[in-house]
Amino acid sequence: MTINRRKFLNGAAAVGAASATGFPHLWIKDASLAYAADSEIKVGVLYSLTGTTAIIETSLNQATLLAIEEINAAGGVGGKKLVPVVEDPASDPATFAQKARKLVVGDKCASVFGSYTSASRKAVLPVFEKYNNLYWYPTLYEGRECSKNVIYTGAVPNQQQKDFIPWLVKNFGKKFYLIGSNYIYPKEENNVCKILLKQLGGEVVGEEYVPLGHSEFSAVINKFKSTQPNVIFSTVVGDSVVALHRQYKAAGLDPKKMPMASLTTSEEEIAAMGGEFAAGHFTSAPYFMSYDSPENHKFVEAFKKRWGKDKVTNFVSEPAYFQVYLFKQAVEKLGKGDLTPPAIREASWGQQVKAPEGLVKIDPQNSHTYLWPKIGEAQTNGQFKTIEQSKEWVEPLPYWAYPGQVCTPNGLQEKKA
Amino acid sequence: MRGNGRIKRTLLGYIVFCIAILIVPIFISDAYLLNKFARYLVFGLLSVALSLSWGYAGILNLGQAVSFGLGSYCMAMALKLRTIPIQTGAGGLPDFMVWNNVQTLPWFWEPFHSYAFALFAGIAVPVAVAFLIGWFIFRARVSGVYVAIITLAMLVVINLLIIDQQRFTGGFNGITDLTTFELFGVQFDAYSTALYYLAAIILSLTLLLGFAFINSKTGLILQAIRDDETRVWYFGYDVANYQNFIFCVSAAVAGVAGMLYTLVMEFASPTFLAVPISLSIVIWCAVGGRASLVGAALGAIVVTGVQGSLSDTQAFLDTWMLIMGALFIVIVLFLPNGLISMLELIWRKKRPLQGSASARLVASRASRTGQATGHRAVSSR
Repeated sequence: MTINRRKFLNGAAAVGAASATGFPHLWIKDASLAYAADSEIKVGVLYSLTGTTAIIETSLNQATLLAIEEINAAGGVGGKKLVPVVEDPASDPATFAQKARKLVVGDKCASVFGSYTSASRKAVLPVFEKYNNLYWYPTLYEGRECSKNVIYTGAVPNQQQKDFIPWLVKNFGKKFYLIGSNYIYPKEENNVCKILLKQLGGEVVGEEYVPLGHSEFSAVINKFKSTQPNVIFSTVVGDSVVALHRQYKAAGLDPKKMPMASLTTSEEEIAAMGGEFAAGHFTSAPYFMSYDSPENHKFVEAFKKRWGKDKVTNFVSEPAYFQVYLFKQAVEKLGKGDLTPPAIREASWGQQVKAPEGLVKIDPQNSHTYLWPKIGEAQTNGQFKTIEQSKEWVEPLPYWAYPGQVCTPNGLQEKKA
Repeated sequence: MRGNGRIKRTLLGYIVFCIAILIVPIFISDAYLLNKFARYLVFGLLSVALSLSWGYAGILNLGQAVSFGLGSYCMAMALKLRTIPIQTGAGGLPDFMVWNNVQTLPWFWEPFHSYAFALFAGIAVPVAVAFLIGWFIFRARVSGVYVAIITLAMLVVINLLIIDQQRFTGGFNGITDLTTFELFGVQFDAYSTALYYLAAIILSLTLLLGFAFINSKTGLILQAIRDDETRVWYFGYDVANYQNFIFCVSAAVAGVAGMLYTLVMEFASPTFLAVPISLSIVIWCAVGGRASLVGAALGAIVVTGVQGSLSDTQAFLDTWMLIMGALFIVIVLFLPNGLISMLELIWRKKRPLQGSASARLVASRASRTGQATGHRAVSSR
């Protein structure tokens, strides 16, 4: 017994000592190598596999890995294999920053694909700016960012709302109630929504922000009843979406008269609440799982085959998937040239790829992406029916609501009036 | 009876630890590794803060991260005001305020134009908050598990407040995009040797001062309070004052750690004062040995080091949390007084035949009673 115990203690001491000196990682050996070895290119994959946003971020991780595997199976990038370095930042901004450092400085990744929340993107930005590396961010977000070290492949407010708000006004009426979670994304979306409504002669009858994770909406629903809006414009996120939809139905409100129009409700949230609670409500996004295109059929099928029959794709995992192809094309354009993150950034400008949602392109002006906004109506089977689709791809304008400012390849600039 | 030899031996251990962390940059020049180690040292400092109140005064503060986060925000506010607001184009106003349609800088941001004020506030604000909470808790003679509940609740309240007041705090995203801290002409860049030394020197000083403090009269009274509060009341000491005092000292140390953390991470986030990190501090203390300042520091460094290494290793990507959990259970089961008690065991095993029999008897009895109180404290608090 004592011997065992002493053995254990010695072992524990060894573990302690090793960790105190930092576990000489394998990568120290490669520290002097360039961004690509002879036959491979390292890329970071930085989505949380544990913690509060693990469910959605795991789907992003899977979409990214799927694209990497497909590319490798088809011969890689210019003959080189993509080697994904997967990290788990555990839904914690500080861990995001730490892991980003490891991927950028330690592993010397040529680019990193990552982040779902804006908080985590903001946390890793100093690392990418400091080391002039490149971060590929797939999530729709609030805009108003113009970093030289990020390629944004998700939608910004003008893309999601430009067609959506006029369509809602035309079909349902001019009285809007704005409800969102209390953080920067809903506030920015609502700023844009209010500008559009003003142009259309619409009216905001209520604007309200609930804490993140809020699940008690009866007071809010009473206000819906008393103000009688034509449209409830929702930028509520996460579990609150589920609670809001369920309580809306329980209160006897009718989507035909007072639909919820959302920018954030995807197939994932509907799966969590049950299709009958979502049916009849609308979402505007560039991608729905049910979208009918050969590229999308292929994507959905491959995703299910790789990760499980019950898996769903969504409007965040789709950009997470196609942005890897954009990266591939950028690197191929560089050819034998220097493979550095700034070079990849410049090579990515203007790159186009036939994504599941349609042909997308990286805007050389602001490193955001031309996308295909669609309006979907949720069905009882948990899928969206595409009702309207933009006639052409929509230009990304991250500073749309701020006419004095414009994002350029050299960063944000004030526009002379 | 206090053994002078034991104190000397322990002090020697403290000094060895301090030298060890101070000479690290001689062997490591890699900027990324230095930054990573600086981060571990900050956690070490934070763990020392809890050890002061929990290990030496029996106050299990589950809201230690409040002080840490407030310190972190004070530093971030000062740095933010010196960032050229290139992202917003609005002269002088932090970007997130512009996004939230704030027109003028709020009054409580104004003094943060001065570094001197920010450094002062990074300690004073956590201390003030701790004093206020402590005043209510200890005056009311609340103790044991109720202290843990109240401090945890305070943590959640302050965390929610910071997220909710995003116009002034940056909300969920925290305060990001900060300039580099500069003092007396030295740039404390996140990856610099200078910042590592700053962290190492502060941790060393805290350990040595802390060591002097816990062996002072006040330190002994605090330990007596930990072991039997009522008895100390009957001795005529104002227990509440002593408790609140150490509670505030602990907050000050955590505040300093928070300021350093902002420098190391280059941002401040509401997750710095969220429940997970606050509970982690308790784990670090427990693993290292809460009744030893250097043990607590070591615990933080070992736990976060192993955690970082495991989760960095592709093979453990799916299992690292499980392995961490198992390690905690093993350590708590087999080393209830933490990793540091291992050194004691080794020390005693090495010299079983030295000294007279009676001295050995006294020593073993002392250690046995010591362990017994340790056990009791673990189970009751």
